[in-house]
Formats: sequence, C-alpha cells, structure tokens
Amino acid sequence: MALIELRHLSKTFKGKTQIVEALKDINLEINQGDIYGIIGMSGAGKSTLVRCINFLEKPTGGSVVIDGKDLASLTPKALRSLRQEVSMIFQHFNLLQQRDVRGNIAFAMEIAGMKKADIDKRVDEMLEVVGLTDRQHNYPSQLSGGQQQRVAIARALSTNPKIILCDEATSALDPQTTTSILNLLREINKKMGITIVIITHEMSVVESVCTHVAIIDNGDLVENGTVEDVFSQPKSQAAKKLIFRKAGADMGSLGERMIRIVFEGSASTDPVIASLAMECHVAANIMYADTRDVNGKAFGQMILQLPEDKLQQEKAIYYLQSKGLRVEEVTSGGA
Amino acid sequence: MALEKMIPLMLDGIRDTMYMTTVSTLFAYLLGLPLAIALVLTSPKGLAPRPLIYRVMDAVVNIFRSIPFLILMILVIPLTRLIAGRAYGSTATIVPLVIAAAPYVARMIESSLLEVDPGVIEAAQSMGASIPEIIFKVIIPEAKTSLIVGATISSGTILGYSAMSGAIGGGGLGQIAISYGYNRYQTDVLLVTVILLIVLMQAIQLIGMYISRKTDKRVRE
Repeated sequence: MALIELRHLSKTFKGKTQIVEALKDINLEINQGDIYGIIGMSGAGKSTLVRCINFLEKPTGGSVVIDGKDLASLTPKALRSLRQEVSMIFQHFNLLQQRDVRGNIAFAMEIAGMKKADIDKRVDEMLEVVGLTDRQHNYPSQLSGGQQQRVAIARALSTNPKIILCDEATSALDPQTTTSILNLLREINKKMGITIVIITHEMSVVESVCTHVAIIDNGDLVENGTVEDVFSQPKSQAAKKLIFRKAGADMGSLGERMIRIVFEGSASTDPVIASLAMECHVAANIMYADTRDVNGKAFGQMILQLPEDKLQQEKAIYYLQSKGLRVEEVTSGGA
Repeated sequence: MALEKMIPLMLDGIRDTMYMTTVSTLFAYLLGLPLAIALVLTSPKGLAPRPLIYRVMDAVVNIFRSIPFLILMILVIPLTRLIAGRAYGSTATIVPLVIAAAPYVARMIESSLLEVDPGVIEAAQSMGASIPEIIFKVIIPEAKTSLIVGATISSGTILGYSAMSGAIGGGGLGQIAISYGYNRYQTDVLLVTVILLIVLMQAIQLIGMYISRKTDKRVRE
C-alpha cells in the first residue's frame, strides 16, 4: 500500500468575483522511500497540492490517505498528531527569529510533547546530522540561507517523521547551496528511509535527487512516473515544455524541418551526429543539445535542423533510427 | 512658589502620576491583551475565523476609541464611584484611564501580533501545534520586540491622559499644573510640572526602547 494516496483530490478557491480551480481531480500514489518531485510552472497548483497532503489546505473534493488514514476523517487532535509524522520545510525557512538554532530545533519536539532531557539529547543529534553544532547558539539572522534551511531540516527531522514535504525548499538558495541541501535530503532518504516530497519549479532539482516525478499544469496532474521514464519520453505538452524549455524558446522563429532525437543509456556515448555527417553526408544543424545524468544513467536530447532536401531528411531520420535512437518531429514553437 | 514648598508638592505629584500611569497601564494590558488575541484569532483571516464575533469586538473597540478622554471620564463617573468609592483623586482616575486605554492597548497589541510572519505560523501548524501553542509559543514571543515598543508608546499615552485628568479632579502633576498654574496663575509651578512631564515621558521612552533593543534577536551582531 502506498504511503501517501491522493484520490480524486480537488481544491477550489472561491473569491468574491471568481472561482479558481487550483487542483482538479488529482490521483497520485507515493510509496515509502520515494523521493517524489512535483513540478510545475508557478501558479500551476503545486504549493496547494503539497498543503493538501498535510491538510494545511483542506481539499474541496476527494481524499488524502496517509499510512492508511484518511485525513478528512481525523479529529483536529488526531490530525495534529499525524502532522508530527509529516514534517515540512519551506522556501523561506520559516524559523523563529527570536530563538537560537537549538531553540528552533527543540520547538517541534516541544510541540510533540517530549521531555526536556530527551529534547536536549535529540537536538545534539540533529545538530550533528545537519553539521551545525558550532552554530547552535546563533540566531537565524546570523545564519546564511543554506544554514537556515539546515536548521529547518533538523527541526523537521527531530520528531522522526515518516514523510518530509519540501515546498520550494531550494528556490531561495544559490546553486551551490541548493546542491548541498539536496545532497542532505538524499542522504536522509537513504539512511533513514524517510519519504520525501519535493515541490519545485526547477527541473534540475528533480533530475538531481528525485526517483519519481509528477507534472502539474494548470491544476491538472498531466504526467507522472519514474524520473527516467518521464524525462526520456515526455508525453504531455507541459512535460515537454518543462524538459525542453530552453530549446522551445529558441525555435519559435525557425520554420524548417526539425527533429528531436533522444539518447537513452549507452547510445549517448556514440558520436552519432559526426557519423551522420560522415556516413550519410547529411549536414544537420544542432539547434540544441543537452545531456543529463539521471540517476547514474546518461540521457540526452538534441534538436537538429535538417537540410531542405526531402531525400536527405528521410535518410537522416532512417539512419538515426537504425542507431536505436528515438526520433520525433518538432513542430515550430511547440516543442 | 518657595522651593521648600515646591519640592514636596512636586514629589507628591510625580508619585501620583507614576502610580496612575503604571497601575492603569497594567490593567489596560490585562484587558487589552485577551481582547487583542481574540481579535487576531477571530478575524476573517485568523486561525479561528468568527466573522460575527470579530465585527462586534471591532466595533466596540472603535466606539471607545472615538470618545475623547475627558468626555469619557465624565461619562463613566457613576462607574468610577461604584468601583473606587469616589469620583476624584488618583485612585479614582484609574477607572476611566483603564477604560480609555484598554481599547487603545488592544489595537497596539493587535497590530504587533499581525506583524508576525505568517510563514512561521504555518510552520508551527505543519508541526501540529494547537492554537494556544501557536499564540504563546510562536506569535507572542515573535512579536516581543514590537509589543515592547507598543507598551512604551501606550504608557506614554496613558501618562498624557493622566495629566489631562487633572482638569476634572484627577491627581498628580496634571492636577498641580491646573490648580496652581492655571487657577492661581503660578507660572513657575506650571513650568516645573511641564518639565517633569517631559522628563517622565523621556524616561519611559528610553527605558522601553532599551529593553526592546536588548531583547531583539533579529539584529546582526
């Protein structure tokens, strides 16, 4: 059974003049030990979705089931104690400004009703995990963004949660700090078996740490699966847009025939484009190329502009397909 | 006025003024704090929205705040007699002072509490904190600096009210200023009371600001 199950989840906000459907019939299963990325453009509804998982937002339809418990059926008290198993970290860290690092980590445990001596011991352990022992008496205003997020992670971990929800947790950080925070999350997932849900608008976050990904577009869950599957064969427009965002921006003005070729696993080490030129005498123009390392396997894609001659085009496509590559037509502007 | 008469008069005045100001501020906070918490909680965007209750409290606070202090003092004379036994003197003045200051204090506290970052409150909710825990462990401690600044401003305002009360039988420096300086044309007494009031106000302000700075942890060292 999945650890987190979202069934026909919907959320509608009623404003004075308009009704906004933030989430429409979302179905999603997240298993124990997954690092599940939920990605979408801003305004797609992903922040609302993650807040429905711990009922900070009450869905207007459907159900959220965590570890077999339907959240809608819980009493306020039972919901509060369940929230101790579902920690959350935020884009802006949300630390108590008037408490030092120790005090902030202790806070979650005070809420959980732990004894003072146990809290102190656990705070020491958590400081060790996030590497902030030497900063324990500093206040948030004296820490960098990355350090503050580490405090938030320590706070989130302190109550031994089953799940950690990350709402744009790295969006306010520079690339280097982002990498270190993501590494920490991956380590936590591996060592402690904690399921992690990551909300982000950055594809690179999903690539570097997630095992699974769901794509949210305009309140709909348009695609989900393992990161490898979704990244190598994106089906929906929204997924393609996110994965080939950069390429899409460049292609609008060109009307000539273009194809996208996808490399999976070993194929990305063959010099196919060079061979194409040498063996078939077809000069393809590389419009966009990107190779990514997804969970240890190499994935890449390229967008090629083919010569005007129809025969040459077919020859090139045939050749690439014979090399075991997937070839797709790219229509202008709609990557 | 001769100095040997002036000094004991002024010492009494200072003592009465400080007595009225501190006791009134204390009671105003005892009434104003729960009222402010209730306002913040029940507001449409609060943690426990009760729009009807909120609107009633909001209106009551506004009504009391819109009555000028001197008029309020006259209006509540029957209540003052009931509570203090008489309608004049320092102790009696505390009754209208509290009634005038409590809604003012409630507004000051309300605005301090609303300054707390909603993200921090959301984080506490995500950890399963109850509403009392959010109020006493998150909102009030996080608003501490702003609350101290507010208390400084509020006690300054109450000091001003207490001086005003001298016009219709209140005690302290205000009463001395009016009965000697205004009714008996003793300008020297008037001047000394004004200077003393300024000194008191400065002292409140300096001490309040010092405490708020000392306790604020947001400042980079």
